[in-house]
Amino acid sequence: MRTRNVVVAGVGGQGVILFAAALANAALMSDLDASVSEIHGMAQRGGSVISHVRIGERIYSPTIPEGGADVIIGLEPLEALRSLPFSNERTLALLNTRRIVPIAALLRGPKYPELEEILGILKRFCGSVLAIDAPELAKRCGSARAENMVMLGALAGLGILPIPIESFERGIGETVPRGSLEQNLEAFKLGVEFARAQKV
Amino acid sequence: MGNPRVLIDGKPGSKHLLLGNEAIARGLIEGGVSVATTYPGTPASEIVDSLAAVAEEAGIYVEYSTNEKVALEVAAGASLSGLRSSTSMKMVGLNVAADALMTLGYLGVRGGMVIITADDPNCYSSQNEQDNRYYALMANIPCLEPSNPQEAKDMLLDAYRISEELELPVLYRSVTRLSHSRRPVVFGEIARPRRAEFSRDYERFVMVPANARARHVALLEKMEAAKGISDSYPRNEELGDGELGIITSGNAFNYVMDAIEKIEADASVLKLGIVHPLPEGTILGFLGEHSPVLIIEELEPLLEMRIRALANENSIGTKILGKRELSLPRHGELSIKQVALAITRALGRDPGGLRFENPALSRLDLEIPARPPVLCPGCPHRASFYAIRASGIRDAVFITDIGCYALGSLPPLSVGDVLLCMGASAGLSAGVSKATGKPVVGIVGDSTFFHASIPALINAVYNRHRYIYVVLDNMTTAMTNFQPHPGSGLDSLGRPAKRILIEEVSKGCGVEFVKVIDPFDFESAVGALREALAFDGPSVLVFRRECAILKARKAEGRGPPLSIDRFKCTGCLLCINRFGCPAITLGEGGKPSIDAMLCNGCGFCALICPQGAIGGSADED
Repeated sequence: MRTRNVVVAGVGGQGVILFAAALANAALMSDLDASVSEIHGMAQRGGSVISHVRIGERIYSPTIPEGGADVIIGLEPLEALRSLPFSNERTLALLNTRRIVPIAALLRGPKYPELEEILGILKRFCGSVLAIDAPELAKRCGSARAENMVMLGALAGLGILPIPIESFERGIGETVPRGSLEQNLEAFKLGVEFARAQKV
Repeated sequence: MGNPRVLIDGKPGSKHLLLGNEAIARGLIEGGVSVATTYPGTPASEIVDSLAAVAEEAGIYVEYSTNEKVALEVAAGASLSGLRSSTSMKMVGLNVAADALMTLGYLGVRGGMVIITADDPNCYSSQNEQDNRYYALMANIPCLEPSNPQEAKDMLLDAYRISEELELPVLYRSVTRLSHSRRPVVFGEIARPRRAEFSRDYERFVMVPANARARHVALLEKMEAAKGISDSYPRNEELGDGELGIITSGNAFNYVMDAIEKIEADASVLKLGIVHPLPEGTILGFLGEHSPVLIIEELEPLLEMRIRALANENSIGTKILGKRELSLPRHGELSIKQVALAITRALGRDPGGLRFENPALSRLDLEIPARPPVLCPGCPHRASFYAIRASGIRDAVFITDIGCYALGSLPPLSVGDVLLCMGASAGLSAGVSKATGKPVVGIVGDSTFFHASIPALINAVYNRHRYIYVVLDNMTTAMTNFQPHPGSGLDSLGRPAKRILIEEVSKGCGVEFVKVIDPFDFESAVGALREALAFDGPSVLVFRRECAILKARKAEGRGPPLSIDRFKCTGCLLCINRFGCPAITLGEGGKPSIDAMLCNGCGFCALICPQGAIGGSADED
């Protein structure tokens, strides 16, 4: 099979790393090779965080080449925009609409664009775009912070990766702490249902 | 790896998704390591963090040492005594340990010793991007370079074997993209630990000049013999087939493989598993069979320089293309694109035919606001910086240091005019103060204070320097994942330990003005800063309050988020323009509002709001 490339972009603290690790574990559950490249330390303190997930039969490079993303997961709209160099005209952009405005954009320099503008740009450069108010959905299972699992559910529900839902669920089980597994799985399911109700 | 127990419970042959650093930790366990030391630093930290989680059960002694030099010495002591040991650090840590490293090769080791360096091409979380393979050349010890997590585990066993065969420590080089890559890793058998025994060998272990001269010769002889080991090392692999040859190693190998596939090039790839000493016979053979030969490596042209010299010595005329001919930079990390372009050019093909970017992107007419890392909501450092700004210290130079608090150098706090390396704030402050006569405030974190500030602080007292040394004590090593340190009252495994207080150390160094302040006690903090400013001599102010993330991780959890009373708020925006907590954002009508998902209820903004408009819990959002 062709290697699938998923760029996961968000803000430090949003659970980018957990998302990527759960996705890679899901791939492993389907007997595929998977690779996640992530950034720790300084980059995690509320800064832009990007994780490269590659799924296939044999992976070499830890990073996705420019223009090489099959999917861009934007856990935050501005960060989805920032990862556009990875997009091509077939890329699916999955966007969490919750905005986190960087202090820098409040103090000086370019302002944070309106959500409509961001969606417009994503639609112009990517093959398809699906926007989700993930924390709003996540609240239904008790915590808006499970927004990352809603997003993972949406990715799984779209069925664009060669990984069945059961593998995703087992992948999440391998990744998240046992105490929060139930809540994470619930958030995941909400995302799956949301995606299945959409037409992308 | 959701549960660190996988590292000891995973059966041989089982497969697990591991971070490169976790794979290295498993490699150490499989290699029968008895003593593993470190000073935490990204991208190396998770090696010992994951070992610490299973150390007691695995019977491994694990230590967060006060700095990398100490870490290397503790591990070396264990290896001199016959045990297998490891020390791991980020690349700049090896600078701190370099004094010990440069002579350790003379002594050699008895039990295998692996020195793991995690380099950080592109400075993701570092102050430079030095290439630590240079250290292997300078100390003249073997250096292995794995390319993915599976190799990072497997080659550790080779490293121990080579270390014991040559009785030398082995440098093991990782990079961010390996240490922080998650890949499936298949486990192997766990070796038994060695038995400790120290036996005296004066000529070998006591480096007085007469012995050192002889041991230098012995080292050179060992490394000459190591060329044979290098040439027969099975992880120097040749892959693919073609007239064009490529020599590469480590993570660069991955980009080479993807690039070749992308451009459908016929090429023969020689991947070096050992980069010092070079497998000279293997390389000469490869040079003889291919033309041109490209040398593709991240950062410095270290393979290139030596391979060119080797070809020259052996009068081999093969065309060798390196950094300059291939337009590959000596900075940053490589990418599939860069390598594909380089190979395309070397093949004489038109690089214009290669497609990477989304062509539409050239039409994106929008400047995307930057999102640099920031101090977390509730971070006690922000309160400390706010007090420093509010204290009215004018015309001061602020010398900051390595840690989360380096982020205080960004607006709106902007406390930080110089940042060099671990602990340098104490020495730099003295120099700037002596040169300018201006008020100087040095800023250092708790763990960094213990790491490298103390000799410079003694120096400041002894040589009569005058500056305020602000120690931001959040009771943990926060930036690198909350490792304990001598001032935290916890040992490396999180058990209660003797707590060494920064104020007592400072007094012991001879500092006469020492105060401990809670930075959330704003008035006292400002008062102490003003008093210290008037003091003639070095002063130490310990701003102590627990890291907000660490606090949230403990039983206390996060506090309820605050909210802003829109009627009381006048929109002065002091909370944004002067304080700059990421949980405070601009809401409707140009007034600030609090993001309840980010706020952890620390309450400092409520304390400084001139209108008293912040309080309660958030129900408005």
